[in-house]
Amino acid sequence: MIKSVMVMNTQGKPRLAKFYDFQPVEKQQELIRSVFGVLCGRADNVSNFVEADSIFGPGTRLVYKHFATLYFVFIFDSSENELAMLDLIQVFVETLDKCFKNVCELDIVYNYSKLHTILDEIIFGGQVLETSSIEVIKAVEEISKCSPSLSPSTCLSFFGPSTRPLLLCYN
Amino acid sequence: MALSGMRGLSVFISDIRNCPNKEQERLRVDKELGNIRTRFKNEKGLSPYEKKKYVWKMLYIYMLGYDVDFGHMEAVSLISAPKYPEKQVGYIVTSCLLNENHDFLRLAINTVRNDIIGRNETFQCLALTMVGNIGGREFAESLAPDVQKLIISSSCRPLVRKKAALCLLRLYRKNPDVVNVDGWADRMAQLLDERDLGVLTSSMSLLVALVSNNHEAYWSCLPKCVKILERLARNQDVPQEYTYYGIPSPWLQVKTMRALQYFPTVEDPNTRRSLFEVLQRILMGTDVVKNVNKNNASHAVLFEALALVMHLDAEKEMMSQCIALLGKFIAVREPNIRYLGLENMTRMLMVTDVHDIIKRHQAQIITSLKDPDISIRRRALDLLYGMCDVSNAKDIVEELLQYLSTADFAMREELSLKAAILAEKFAPDLSWYVDVILQLIDKAGDFVSDDIWFRVVQFVTNNEDLQPYAAAKAREYLDKPAIHETMVKVSAYLLGEYSHLLARRPGCSPKEIFSIIHEKLPTVSMSTVAILLSTYAKILMHTQPADPELQNQIWTIFNKYESCIEVEIQQRAVEYFALSRKGVALMDILAEMPKFPERQSSLIKKAEDVEVDTAEQSAIKLRAQQQQTSTALVVADQSSANGTSPVNQLGLVKVPSMSSSVDHNSTDPGMAQPNGTLTKVDPQPQPPSPSPSPDLLGDLLGPLAIEGPPVAGESEQNVVSGLEGVAAVDAAAIVPVTVQTNAVEPIGNIAERFHALCLKDSGVLYEDPYVQIGIKAEWRGHHGRLVLFLGNKNTSPLFSVQALILPPSHLKMELSLVPETIPPRAQVQCPLEVMNLRPSRDVAVLDFSYKFNTNMVNVKLRLPAVLNKFLQPITVSAEEFFPQWRSLSGPPLKLQEVVRGVRPMPLLEMANLFNSCHLIVCPGLDPNPNNLVASTTFYSESTRAMLCLTRIETDPADRTQLRMTVASGDPTLTFELKEFIKEQLVSIPTAPRPPAPAPAAPSNDPGAMLAGLL
Repeated sequence: MIKSVMVMNTQGKPRLAKFYDFQPVEKQQELIRSVFGVLCGRADNVSNFVEADSIFGPGTRLVYKHFATLYFVFIFDSSENELAMLDLIQVFVETLDKCFKNVCELDIVYNYSKLHTILDEIIFGGQVLETSSIEVIKAVEEISKCSPSLSPSTCLSFFGPSTRPLLLCYN
Repeated sequence: MALSGMRGLSVFISDIRNCPNKEQERLRVDKELGNIRTRFKNEKGLSPYEKKKYVWKMLYIYMLGYDVDFGHMEAVSLISAPKYPEKQVGYIVTSCLLNENHDFLRLAINTVRNDIIGRNETFQCLALTMVGNIGGREFAESLAPDVQKLIISSSCRPLVRKKAALCLLRLYRKNPDVVNVDGWADRMAQLLDERDLGVLTSSMSLLVALVSNNHEAYWSCLPKCVKILERLARNQDVPQEYTYYGIPSPWLQVKTMRALQYFPTVEDPNTRRSLFEVLQRILMGTDVVKNVNKNNASHAVLFEALALVMHLDAEKEMMSQCIALLGKFIAVREPNIRYLGLENMTRMLMVTDVHDIIKRHQAQIITSLKDPDISIRRRALDLLYGMCDVSNAKDIVEELLQYLSTADFAMREELSLKAAILAEKFAPDLSWYVDVILQLIDKAGDFVSDDIWFRVVQFVTNNEDLQPYAAAKAREYLDKPAIHETMVKVSAYLLGEYSHLLARRPGCSPKEIFSIIHEKLPTVSMSTVAILLSTYAKILMHTQPADPELQNQIWTIFNKYESCIEVEIQQRAVEYFALSRKGVALMDILAEMPKFPERQSSLIKKAEDVEVDTAEQSAIKLRAQQQQTSTALVVADQSSANGTSPVNQLGLVKVPSMSSSVDHNSTDPGMAQPNGTLTKVDPQPQPPSPSPSPDLLGDLLGPLAIEGPPVAGESEQNVVSGLEGVAAVDAAAIVPVTVQTNAVEPIGNIAERFHALCLKDSGVLYEDPYVQIGIKAEWRGHHGRLVLFLGNKNTSPLFSVQALILPPSHLKMELSLVPETIPPRAQVQCPLEVMNLRPSRDVAVLDFSYKFNTNMVNVKLRLPAVLNKFLQPITVSAEEFFPQWRSLSGPPLKLQEVVRGVRPMPLLEMANLFNSCHLIVCPGLDPNPNNLVASTTFYSESTRAMLCLTRIETDPADRTQLRMTVASGDPTLTFELKEFIKEQLVSIPTAPRPPAPAPAAPSNDPGAMLAGLL
């Protein structure tokens, strides 16, 4: 089971924090801080796995991927396959990219509600719901039709690192 | 700035982003929260759009780390909004802000159900998503049938069905009973025929959850899983959108293989053959390629296939093929693959007998210890630890020691513990072991626990050949300029005992030894000073004939510490000073330490404890536990198999006492005599190790044997056979009901434990070789909360765990869900809520059972939710007491009885007994010093808080009888309390209890009951 999904920027600011088993708000912040503490010290050419037992308890695993100014972090237990989780992060980001056209941190900040909607179409109660980004986008578009406010908003500020496209920088 | 559907939200986010610091951010957030709060107060003026906007803001604020403790109702109420946008926000925010136990959620159940059974698919999806994220037991019970219908409905789109499948998984986790195995197993198998890969992925997750609890029921799914795997591996009928970097849905492949690992084996030969064909194809067909994402995906499948192969006990040939693959992986450039290669090799160690093949890769694994990635270094350490045996221990431990100097701070503790354990388990010879531990202390003293140096001392003490070597080594380390305090301790100890064996070597005269040790004294802590003083005394003793200069130096030190504030040091200084003036007589007392008894290494024990995981339902782990070969268990096995395993090399070697005195004869003739009388030596200087307590059980049972009347056991049996109803249950609790079939003997006396818990609020209720049940209780008025701590003491899981509460009619008790399986060495906590309805002495019983191996163990235990737990001490003055006492004039509110057969005890002890039952003795109220007056408040739902008064008149001439008067405003309470006090006085704990009144008529006629009793 996936226990938590976190998106935070390279300064440690949370951009999305979803916990599939309930955590009080102070605990959530503490966990986000601890995760950032570990991630910010890691170089770019190392593995995507981090020992997380001391943060989340024994048997927990953490995979993360670093895209431009953001870290995408999945925390899960041993019933999931680590590399498959890593693939799922990729699906998440690729889906965002398709929705926002060259997605960057700022898109994610301002389309906070949309981010939730997309994630809910990929992970459901801590389980993998959908792995095809095409299917995810179909579902999200259907929702957007019902809910006009969810049409993507574009960033109008062109400067600063938070407009760096996530995927271009990664590849 | 950004455009958003909700302008207000975007503006707010911009504001937050523009805050220069955290302080400003907080101000902005507080302002916004204040604004939302006021807007919510006059709800009428809010349009659904505004509500939606505010609720999103709240969620954003919540994510930033601010507590949002209002607006929950608004979020929940949005769920019932008729329009999609508001409804959506309601669902999303509710599932983020609220947890499953939130009261508001209950209010929403009906709306949620209507959305689920309604025709609107988008509403269905929203409702399913929320329930799937935060649905609790109540949701499970009221929604499971509807959700099941959706999964198998032919009219629903895949979009809804896949969500329904995962929603059912959540509900099943909350209450397994909502999935009826008989009916659902066939449906589950049908679901696996699904063509849509989205629905199939969700269904497979559901299947994994179901089979992990009960694979028996789902055998029919096994061949279908293999079919799915074949379909994917051959890339048949896989739509483009489910092909990820050229790989047919890696997630579904992985999940399917995971599901297969929960079935103990694949019996059908055809299915087995097909499965192995697929696995072979995966193992052989995966290459490391340039594209990172493709690599990750293909290796996700590959590593899962490896796990499945391990699980299926494939032929040796396939196993070596797997290890060859892993060997390739741990050397590739891709760090993720290296990481998983090492991890899977470690798993391989647990499951199969492939040590030798893995050892071929030792050099590469050691290289991985220097990997730039700490995650990989840790995996390498684990693997080296797991693969170490006598043949490679020297190489591996020396590598670890070398690595220690450069290792990350975060890894040093684990590294040194592992090195110490390996050195102890697999040492080819003892001097090497001493070398390793001394190096360890030297390089990482901070991380070397006391256990480690105690152990070295034990080995050296018990092995005469080792003593000169160890002393010489210790002497060498003292020459180093700055040494760790632990090194000071161990070298001082060793040199105190054995430096005389080095006397002829250069730099090892008593004087030189003394001065080099004494140099360290100013820098060490008090506990080390104590060891140094002993060392000085021993050096003095060994210097025969005495060297006056050395003697004076040491005496000065003793004198100085005679006024030390630390008692331990002061004592030593005074004693050593006095002793060393006695000359030769000193030798009797300060002779060499006796040999240590053989015992299990505390270090290895510690390692076992450290390594046992709190397991979850992981296939690999379950498997490992079944096979009893996890690394943790390997350690245990080897240490218990002391007779044959290589561990024995380090076993404490027994040296015949004759040879020891001969040895000493040659060094120092004066020593022979004291050594010969070693056994008579006062063991006052304690060896620095915890003493074993094999008599623990005896200690526990001891007082019982003394206190209880000689025929206690027998009379208890009589009571059992003679009683029915509550009393029978009660008596049954004294001994496990089915002693013969249980074949499990409880540790300690169950009745004793129960009685102890009646007077205190935490402790052990029951213990046997497998299980320990602890209790912690809190009482407030007529409410109580007990927490049962169910602990599995073993290295394998306990199954079919069941705990039923049989409450007496006066207690309302609610036990939270008790898991069916307790993982190895894990403890689960089960809260039990108690409410006291009315006064009664009846006792609640816990019917506890579990399965270990094939044994079903069942015990019935009395729970200490007894009458006195609902008493709260209250002291009353004479002015309050007497009017009350007089107003409660006679039966049934005030009862008097002469009690005989009282356990004789001094009045003070009786007062203490009363106090411990929360009946507070009020001294001075009764003019007669032989009498006691006590008061308390009793709490129950029917009586509320009620004052109770008691008077005991004792006869100083005959302590076995007394007259007792109890008064309260409730007749039942008076009677019950009187009986309760009598029970306390007559005998604790083993005398036959007076039969309790039948629960049906506890208090109708106390007088008659009493007559019956007597």
